[in-house]
Amino acid sequence: MSSSKIFIQQVFALLAKDLKTEWRTREIFTSMFVFTVLVVVVFNFAIGADTELIRQVASGVVWVALLFATVLGLQRAGHMESEEDSLQGVLLALHDRSALFVAKMVAQMLYLLGVVVCTLPLCSIWFRIDFTACIGAFGIVFVLGILGLSIVGTLFSIMVLHTRAHEVMLPILFLPVSIPLTIAAVYATAQLIAGKGLKDIADYLALLSVFDIIFFMLSIMVFDYIVEG
Amino acid sequence: MQMMFASKGRTLHAVIVYFSMLFAMFFVFICAPNEKIQGIVQKIFYFHVSSAITMFFAFFIVFVASIMYLWKRSDWWDAVAFSAAEIGVVFCTLVLITGPIWGRPIWGTWWSWDPTLTLTLVLWLIYVAYLMLRIDIHDPKRARFAAVLGIIGFVDVLLIRWSVEKWRTLHPKPVLIQEGGTTGLTSTMLWIFMFCLGAFLLLFFYLLRERTSITQSRHALEVLRQEIDDLLAR
Repeated sequence: MSSSKIFIQQVFALLAKDLKTEWRTREIFTSMFVFTVLVVVVFNFAIGADTELIRQVASGVVWVALLFATVLGLQRAGHMESEEDSLQGVLLALHDRSALFVAKMVAQMLYLLGVVVCTLPLCSIWFRIDFTACIGAFGIVFVLGILGLSIVGTLFSIMVLHTRAHEVMLPILFLPVSIPLTIAAVYATAQLIAGKGLKDIADYLALLSVFDIIFFMLSIMVFDYIVEG
Repeated sequence: MQMMFASKGRTLHAVIVYFSMLFAMFFVFICAPNEKIQGIVQKIFYFHVSSAITMFFAFFIVFVASIMYLWKRSDWWDAVAFSAAEIGVVFCTLVLITGPIWGRPIWGTWWSWDPTLTLTLVLWLIYVAYLMLRIDIHDPKRARFAAVLGIIGFVDVLLIRWSVEKWRTLHPKPVLIQEGGTTGLTSTMLWIFMFCLGAFLLLFFYLLRERTSITQSRHALEVLRQEIDDLLAR
């Protein structure tokens, strides 16, 4: 069997393992979703009842909630992985260790997508924003943004498993590095909410794509150094 | 390369740094002409911009040393990356302090979220995280993780630059080289600035050299202490 075929097979096996565990416990998704809703609601109180103001800051609120939810989800996933050192066992079985990275990243991305799909309708009602108007454009922005969050987040979450204060270290590493992504995602979403089209946010989409590509390649390159020995 | 940082000539280096900093002060405060519009406030430019360039240089060295560490696995490169990051954060802090002091009388506000300021602040956050990561781990993994972050952090700089550029800018356009290749500085100002920058870079290299050697000594001490503990435990 060719090595790329083995790689894909291992990614799917790992992904299936993670998703099956998640399906049985629903631990990660539930905590992420409830947390996201809470952040959105709390921000709503902080901003007040001014509908126009809320519309203006809605994209920022949603993305901040997603950033925090990413940290929360990765912490849960990392905690499960570090129990009884199961990560080491998985690593020993792998042909190419970056398969673990890809599988974890895809799993995280699926959880985040799930959170977005469940949260946006609520935001739509609370903030009086019609996300269905250009659902395709919103979809592109959210998929690119969530992909970037998952890449950077997963890389750091595996790194901090070996630190003493990993609950604190993950956000401290993850939040500043993902600032370019946050800026691009927030402003692209805000423009779409304001009624602009895909053409107007081309710059932000380019930034999101470049961020995703660069960090994906970089993560694959350095992942071996993180998990070795 | 390691020879260059050896203790030879350390005193000479210190003396040169001392006098070049002294002369830089003298040139800036005595010789440099006052800028027409900004007046005496503009003199902070010599230190602000020199610190900023030294900071970028320091973080670039972290990047290079991190790559070299992952490639060669020599403790020396790790010590260089760590020391450069630490000194880079110090210069970054200086930039963040001198910036508002300059901005207050000129822009009328201590802080504005303009691209260059934001970039500097984010860099400060990333490299403080780098230092925190190092403090938090106590085994060989520390050097590897730090090297990975050193590489990621520097690549991120370009993306941060791009993203914050999208904002409206208040920051003075680089006064050194303006459109058409002309400079916004008089020739006296320019050479004084160059001298200042040279002095700052010399200071940086001196600090880097001292810090690297301290880091290495500390590492050697840790190894010795571990050996003694092992012997006693037997």
